[in-house]
Amino acid sequence: MGVSEGEESHLLLDEKLLCFMKQLELLEEKRNTLNSLIEQGWFSISKARYSMGNKQVSALQFANKMEPLVSVHVRTLENAKVEFCTERSSQKCSDESTKDPTSVEDIGPLEEGIRRRKTTKSGDKEKRETGGTGSEKAPEVNPVEKRDHNPQQDPLNWFGILVPQSLKQAQSSFKQVIELSAEIAALQILVLIKQRNYLFQRCGPFVQCSDD
Amino acid sequence: MAGRGKLIAVIGDEDTVTGFLLGGIGELNKNRKPNFLVVEKDTSITEIEETFKSFLARNDIAIILINQFIAEMIRHAIDAHMESIPAVLEIPSKEHPYDASKDSILRRAKGMFCAEDFR
Repeated sequence: MGVSEGEESHLLLDEKLLCFMKQLELLEEKRNTLNSLIEQGWFSISKARYSMGNKQVSALQFANKMEPLVSVHVRTLENAKVEFCTERSSQKCSDESTKDPTSVEDIGPLEEGIRRRKTTKSGDKEKRETGGTGSEKAPEVNPVEKRDHNPQQDPLNWFGILVPQSLKQAQSSFKQVIELSAEIAALQILVLIKQRNYLFQRCGPFVQCSDD
Repeated sequence: MAGRGKLIAVIGDEDTVTGFLLGGIGELNKNRKPNFLVVEKDTSITEIEETFKSFLARNDIAIILINQFIAEMIRHAIDAHMESIPAVLEIPSKEHPYDASKDSILRRAKGMFCAEDFR
């Protein structure tokens, strides 16, 4: 005996509902992981604050130049599904810092220049050659603009050079949170799409749900 | 460099924002506009709402993370946002644990089983 048309549509509805439930369950699971990771991060920040001092880990330490180390690539798939892929640029950042040792420390004046020292012997020679006019000039300075401060530095450095381990732990927790939040954002959209599909299947595009 | 990808914005208390900035999401653009807002005791709801709306209007932001207790203050603005990008994600805060029954997305999903709730 074949399955009737009504039964078939019911089976399809059940399948869609089960799929929706599965996505919802996955979302809840990921949510719980996210929440516990955030809690872990706060705990580590608090520990760092305890060892560094109350005001040493706050918004006051944020740099005045910031560039994101994480970017999100958004891809729209078929059926309005969206995928968020996080990309971290820390690798390049660390490569730059190893190539250029000056990027580690930013101590010193903003302008770097080469000063010509007054030397006795060469100065005397010049005097003889030019007739004593060159030596009266002030030492020349050739100002060279110092390379721009790299805004793409590790945010850990905002809080000092030697930061406690707990702050590094906080950073790694929040890095995981960022990746997980991209997954959750995509999952949220998927859940809403599944819901819409189910309702469309059940009620049709123009039929109100309250009619059922 | 992070390049052509989009950003993650965050609206939250000091510790939440500090954590996410440690994670590397912080940006100050050419107009020195940040992609984060630290909500303190004296931050007004209007300021929060305006910042949230400005994040929604920016096309370089893909995800907005917001503490759930702050989201509660501007619930109408969050519920009015029906687009998938930027995605709004409610996260817990230190003093307010995450409550799934308050989450905009989950409430919408729950509406599937209750016709009156469904918008």
